[in-house]
Amino acid sequence: MTALIECRGVGFAYPAPDRRRASPFRLSGLSCEITQGEILGVIGPNSAGKTTVIRLLSKVLEPLSGEILLEGKSLRSLTRWELARRVAVVPQDAPPAFPFTVEQLVLMGRYPHAPGRFFEGGEDLTIAREAMAATGVLELAPCAVESLSGGERQRATLARALAQEPRLLILDEPTAHLDLRYQAEVAGLLRRLNRERGVTILLVSHDLNLAAEIADRLLLLHEGRIARVGPPEQVLEESLLGAVYGCRVSVEKSLGGRLAVQVVWPET
Amino acid sequence: MTTPSPATQLLRPDPKRRLALALSVLGAALLVVAAGALLVGSASVSPRAILSVLLGGKPEGIEAVVVLNLRLPRILVAALAGGALAVAGVAFQALTRNPLADPAILGVASGAAFGVVLAQLFGLGATVVAALGLAAFAFAGALVAAGLVYLIAATDGRLPIQTLLLTGVIVGLFFSSAITVVISVVDFNRLGGVIHWLLGNLGPISGGSLAVFAALSAVGLWLVLGRARQLNLLALGEESAIQLGVDAERLKRRIFVGASLLTSSVVAFAGPIGFIGLIVPHMLRGLLGPDNRLLIPAALLAGGVFLLLADTLARTLVAPAELSVGVITAFCGAPFFVYVLRARYRAIP
Amino acid sequence: MRRLGIAVAFLLLLVEPAGAFRLTDSRGRELILPGPPQRIVSLVPSVTEIVYALGGEGRLVGVTDFCDWPPEATNKPRVGGMLAPNLELLVALRADLVVATTEGNRQETFDQLRRLKIPVFIVNAQRVAEVMAVIAQLGELTGRQAAVGPLTDSLMRRIKAVERAVKPYPRPKVLYVLWPEPLIVPGRLGLLTELIELAGGASVTAGEPDAHPRFSLEAVAARAPEVIILARHGADRTPLSRAPWERLTTLPAVRAGRIHSVDGSYLHRYGPRVVDGLELLARMIHPKAFR
Repeated sequence: MTALIECRGVGFAYPAPDRRRASPFRLSGLSCEITQGEILGVIGPNSAGKTTVIRLLSKVLEPLSGEILLEGKSLRSLTRWELARRVAVVPQDAPPAFPFTVEQLVLMGRYPHAPGRFFEGGEDLTIAREAMAATGVLELAPCAVESLSGGERQRATLARALAQEPRLLILDEPTAHLDLRYQAEVAGLLRRLNRERGVTILLVSHDLNLAAEIADRLLLLHEGRIARVGPPEQVLEESLLGAVYGCRVSVEKSLGGRLAVQVVWPET
Repeated sequence: MTTPSPATQLLRPDPKRRLALALSVLGAALLVVAAGALLVGSASVSPRAILSVLLGGKPEGIEAVVVLNLRLPRILVAALAGGALAVAGVAFQALTRNPLADPAILGVASGAAFGVVLAQLFGLGATVVAALGLAAFAFAGALVAAGLVYLIAATDGRLPIQTLLLTGVIVGLFFSSAITVVISVVDFNRLGGVIHWLLGNLGPISGGSLAVFAALSAVGLWLVLGRARQLNLLALGEESAIQLGVDAERLKRRIFVGASLLTSSVVAFAGPIGFIGLIVPHMLRGLLGPDNRLLIPAALLAGGVFLLLADTLARTLVAPAELSVGVITAFCGAPFFVYVLRARYRAIP
Repeated sequence: MRRLGIAVAFLLLLVEPAGAFRLTDSRGRELILPGPPQRIVSLVPSVTEIVYALGGEGRLVGVTDFCDWPPEATNKPRVGGMLAPNLELLVALRADLVVATTEGNRQETFDQLRRLKIPVFIVNAQRVAEVMAVIAQLGELTGRQAAVGPLTDSLMRRIKAVERAVKPYPRPKVLYVLWPEPLIVPGRLGLLTELIELAGGASVTAGEPDAHPRFSLEAVAARAPEVIILARHGADRTPLSRAPWERLTTLPAVRAGRIHSVDGSYLHRYGPRVVDGLELLARMIHPKAFR
């Protein structure tokens, strides 16, 4: 299995607001791989560095040390739009500032493929329509994005990411703020995309059960370092999770092999 | 829950065709309004006389002077100023991701006004005679203001939008206060002239000035229109735009320069005129949707129609006296603003 | 010999510069016209008054909305205010000369008139001598040179009479209030200061720079004026409120009850009525001299 993404000793810190004090955050010595065709779930407590990883992988931020390789090529050597043809990010829900329609939103995903063009071409339209069909929002094409429900908006943004025709699809908390029904919907959709289209997926989530359900491997981040990486059974270990999250956790394995992670509520 | 919004029911998928349609309709409207403006005025000139002047006859004679030296230049200035302001408005609203932003917030208009007021205080208009004269001072003031805003707001080579907005407001307030100081010390006899300018009054300008105005606006338009597609992506947020391949910092700088250039040249050659940068983009967005590739060219024409109408009203309502065009745009703008605010907030569930 | 004379005269006529009519304005710029102006527009109320006093209103084709003296002037076609005269009307009136001032009209108006090829003649009078000069200039422009002498002579006689009448008396300190809020007073460069002096007073603000500077009430109190004159503006017949001034009981003028009000149109314009204004001023400052 070929490595799609390779991180070698990546380090990063946000600039400190006060120069005398140490930087508030550090990612250090991050080395890992994302294999082609897999679903990798990135989990960990808040400010462990999950969002920073996304920003580094999409060139919003540049690592201070180490390097990131995409299909063997360093990210530094790629322009932003060259990267955008291969890596697409589905951010947390944020309605656009203006009333764009779903179709207009999805077409925005075609920008990196022809950044010099003023209007999109016929081929762009075809790909966009196809992406909308894949996520089930084709009938919503003429609707304003801001008038959709949370789940529909998420699927529209996902269609936009798919329109980028990426090798790697990154999702940042895809089920946050979604009703249970939409959570299930999104989970099924992601799995289908991965199996039927071979899309490699990196999923950042604080929802451990979702991650356990759909990811092939999990990467547990703790204070900017990798605590463990591997299949869910290896990573979702009670003592490890307890140490990383700072509370007691129980992990149960059902008969079908599904893992269920639960917080152990403190005694009153 | 998923009802299509009213605007999009008119949506046909091809933006190119919609743009062509919008431009044809607006272009026709502009010609009609311009023709109407040519026909009205304090001097009574018959339509036939106007036509014969335009077709090349009667180079002498008062009809020619009125039509060619007074009405036509003023119509051109109004159309150009309105268009430039509207385009600046679209660009600035896209840049700040705020449909209620007015390019006057940039602080540039106040800087330009201060430049003019200074020039009038020192009577420089009389001595430093240039084809530009007053306009050059306005432009210098605008550049100083824009430069100040940029220098203060930019940190580590980046231009955070929140900071930009705040800085623009502060710089604008600073120059407005400076203007007030000047007004309080300027000689009684000159006071009228200063206040007259501040109210925003269009007048016929020389061919040379018009050419300079047009050239500057063209540059501003090019800076903004050339990045219209990227501006659309900016609506998703800077981070998402970057993740789609847009160089957000470069884009913000370019749009800031373009919007400032457009606003400064309008203030320099036509005086401070408000509300167009706010009203016209809003109306167009309701009709055409938020795609900047359609909005910017349409704004160029629609802004011209709007200001031309307002100016024609300003010079005919109380003829032979003139209202300042700023008064008309404010009287239209304020109620419109209220309507938009209420419609917008009623729509949010 | 005669033929030579005719030839020389003929040559002289040819060589005579295109400007058959020349006059230097108050800015020092020379006005050159092919002939005497026949259709004059006045953008200055003072100028309108002088033109009528000289009997030259036949050549006047347009006035401003503020030209209200003499009353017949209101029958002339109006071209708007001083700040923004209507250019279309100026063109439609076929004006061949516009008389304007830098104190009240705008430079942009002059630029626009220049582009429309309408000549502009600038007048200004900040001294009595300059008023007489303006009268002479307007006499030339309206072809009423003959009326200039009698008018200026009679005005100068009346001025001298006032000077003589007030000469024996000591000069009281005078405060002239052009505008109460903000407090605007006549300064060094204004005609008013000279008029107050001619009327036998000493303006407490005579040393202030510019023509109409701002002033503060504190400074007024420090200068202790003995006479206060409040100016009325426009058609307002009601006297300016004296109450704010009467509260300043430390001022000699208030203690002596010497607060007067005067119709500003006599003193803020520099037509012939300015001498009427001078006489009014003198009577307020030295009532004893005119019993």
